[in-house]
Amino acid sequence: MSSEAHPPAGGPTLRPPFLTRPAGKVCVVWLLLTAIGITVGLVAPRRLLPGFDATTGTDVLRTVVFFTVLATPVAGFVYAVAAISLMGRRHPGSADEPPPEDGAPLRGNRSATVVWLVVSSALVVVMLVWGVAVWSNQQSSAPGALRVRVTGQQWLWTFAYPGTSVQSRTLVLPVDRPVLFEVTSLDVTHGFWPVDLGTQVDANPNEVTVLRTTPDRLGRFEVRCSQICGLYHSLMDAPGVVVTPSAFSRWLQSEGASVATAGRVARVGADR
Amino acid sequence: MTVDAPPRRLEDTPLGPAAGGLYRHQSALTGLAAGVVVGFLGWAAAHELVQAGSWGTDRVVAVTMVGWIVGFTLGVGAGNAPLQWVVGRRPTAEDHLYWAGVGQGRARYWKYCTDHKVVGIQYLVLTMVLFGIGGGLAMLIRTQLLTPHSTFLNPNSYNAVVSIHGTAMIIATIVMVTGPFANFVVPLMIGARDMAFPRLNALSFWLLVSAVPCLLATFVLGGVDAGWTTYAPLSIQAPVAMDAFAVAIIAFALSATIGGINLIVTVLTMRAPGMTPGRLPIFTWGSVVGSALGLCAMPAFLLVMLMVLSDRTMGTSLFDAAVGGSGWLYENLFWIMGHPEVYVILIPPVAALFEVVSTFARKPVFGYRIVVGAFVAIGLLSLAVWAHHMFTSGWAPDLAVPFMASTELISLPTGLLVLCLIGTLWDGYLWPRLPLYFAYLFVWDFVIGGVTGIYLSDVPADQFFHGDMFVTAHFHYALMGGAMIGATAAVCYWFPKITGRMLDERIGKVAFWIIAVGIQVTFAGQFWAGLQGMPRRVAWYNPVFQHANQTASVGAYLLMAGWIVFLYAMVRSAHHGRPAPANPWRAKSLEWQVPSPVPLENFAVQPVVTSDPYGYGQADDAPGGPDRTVENSAPVGRDGAERQGTPP
Repeated sequence: MSSEAHPPAGGPTLRPPFLTRPAGKVCVVWLLLTAIGITVGLVAPRRLLPGFDATTGTDVLRTVVFFTVLATPVAGFVYAVAAISLMGRRHPGSADEPPPEDGAPLRGNRSATVVWLVVSSALVVVMLVWGVAVWSNQQSSAPGALRVRVTGQQWLWTFAYPGTSVQSRTLVLPVDRPVLFEVTSLDVTHGFWPVDLGTQVDANPNEVTVLRTTPDRLGRFEVRCSQICGLYHSLMDAPGVVVTPSAFSRWLQSEGASVATAGRVARVGADR
Repeated sequence: MTVDAPPRRLEDTPLGPAAGGLYRHQSALTGLAAGVVVGFLGWAAAHELVQAGSWGTDRVVAVTMVGWIVGFTLGVGAGNAPLQWVVGRRPTAEDHLYWAGVGQGRARYWKYCTDHKVVGIQYLVLTMVLFGIGGGLAMLIRTQLLTPHSTFLNPNSYNAVVSIHGTAMIIATIVMVTGPFANFVVPLMIGARDMAFPRLNALSFWLLVSAVPCLLATFVLGGVDAGWTTYAPLSIQAPVAMDAFAVAIIAFALSATIGGINLIVTVLTMRAPGMTPGRLPIFTWGSVVGSALGLCAMPAFLLVMLMVLSDRTMGTSLFDAAVGGSGWLYENLFWIMGHPEVYVILIPPVAALFEVVSTFARKPVFGYRIVVGAFVAIGLLSLAVWAHHMFTSGWAPDLAVPFMASTELISLPTGLLVLCLIGTLWDGYLWPRLPLYFAYLFVWDFVIGGVTGIYLSDVPADQFFHGDMFVTAHFHYALMGGAMIGATAAVCYWFPKITGRMLDERIGKVAFWIIAVGIQVTFAGQFWAGLQGMPRRVAWYNPVFQHANQTASVGAYLLMAGWIVFLYAMVRSAHHGRPAPANPWRAKSLEWQVPSPVPLENFAVQPVVTSDPYGYGQADDAPGGPDRTVENSAPVGRDGAERQGTPP
């Protein structure tokens, strides 16, 4: 395939100013769209995403903003080329007969293709490095992590705190302490998704999956099931709250005491 | 076929009263009757033989559904030719003509017809029926989600509606281009008289028809409550509707496999002289790659549904973790089908768009070899990305990084396709007819679908977005705003060739604008809900998501209205439209060089191809120039068309 099929754009002395040529118009529209897109990308995720209560949530927000900034110029370029093409030579759409002459017999352009491929490869590498860095950072096990056993069943969540007798329908976490969730299910596959912590892992029967995060802000959050699990999937949620370490130990003691006085422990999923 | 320049139009051949044999009496109606009878026999036999209990019920439903499918396909005529082999009778030339629909008028659309153009039109109608089912269910979903705690549907009905909405749409989008257009257009494009296996072509269509009642039956059998992904073990404990669902998917997988093999063999073996791989129209390449990818994906779908049936009806525990099975096994098998499958959906419409854009920009395809290479690269890479659907499943955390890499790598060939598409638009002499409108809408939507996909390819971000409405919005932008809009461009583009009439562009443009706005409003609403953290597939939701959902619902109603207007334009134009010339767009590929409507067996004279069909903007005497693209030593265009119409 010939790649040199550029029509000569007039003699060098007769070339119109850059901004009035198609390529110049593409640049203007491209910069404009990119500026708009990046502005939206910087503002919208912060306003729309939940106010995250954990390090993993901050990772999500940063990733969304960063990837938007990376991708917007590419999207803007595509839109600019498509729009300027439409504003160029155009035949009436109502005409029955095709345009009187054909477009440029452009069967390819090696340099445009190479630049496109190099830029998109570079973007992929940047995205991948970013993703691997964030992911491996999340995966590293932190010393002194609080272990929480999470058990899903149709259609409720139970949270147990190993080392205590506490079993709760509310997920209570101390702030600024790494937490290690050990997640399982009693029946079908569920998705353990503490929404405002910005992370999740599936709850599978007869398997224990792990999830790490560190809550870094006090406040309430919601635990959702993210995997369709039958009739009342819509109702399979649980309240969560991030509290101060002292409030957390007080809560553990009072819950443990009430369990002890009640004299019975719902052994839901505790004997793994 | 050795027939050369028949004396008269083949479809006017007078046939004897015995032509076609048993087939003379068969149609969809006998298929329906036989299906009901065999299904009932299956039900009765299974009911008698199987002891009561839930397994028993599962077996009864599965046997009934299989009986329906076997009865229907045999009743419509699938078994006739094999039966003739068995009894040692060879079909006559008259039989073949009768099977191809000669002398049956419109009735041939209701029969087991071997003419690839009839099968193409049958597929087009079936695809629209499936879209109608899926779209109607989408309206129910969006109505339910207008308010946070709606009582419009009960949760079981809601889950059933969500599951079948997804499945009907997936089936419809898989066949929406390779069914109607690859069947109708590809043989014409490559200069063939029909598909390689005309009877298998009909089998592929009627098998799919037989699957639709099984899908609909799920609503009266308790409903599939597991989403279209029907993850085990949930699908193992689902109501007996799941057995009908599994049988429907098995029939669909068989249908897609048969159709795919047929198309690939056709393109491999039946190209006209001179139609070298380098001259194949891009659409043919895309259909072949899409079908080949389907051949890789569909066996996994078939297998996983057989395994579900086995667990449900035979007491195995392939997916039951308590007794040695694994839900992750299901998820892997499902997505080994499921991710190649989205490219089975996407590649053919994108390929059709290259024909559309080249024609309406009056330009050759930009980077022909790059486009073909990108199709192949996407096909290969898409076999190795499936586990990105399982980033948060807990399965094999060590594989998160490799699958993140393969997923992000696939954006390179996909991006090249976008580059070549806008490169084909660039510096063209644009003729904005309706197909080009939809091509522009594709570019707009597909870029949004693609960009939002990169967040999901990133494991840490996916840990928030998995199972969230953001995912729903992303793949609807890519598959509906992208692939389905591409298929709509294909409908507008080939409508004159298929129906012989011009599509009413005035009504079509009204539909276009409603659809274009509807897509943005609907899926912007879903992105909004998704960013806020609303889960997918819920019947009730936290009131904080209400505004986003109302936006999406209003958009969805708009979208439905737009599609109804488009359907009206299609139906009206097919009956009352202006008669179309053979080549209304002055396109250069072979399908435009035969008359509209296309005669039986397409070509009176074997065409000989001397260049690719993109010779725009070149002097007439240049290689690949307009007059030498397809017109050649054995003319088929103007000359051949006339010859076909006139008796000697």
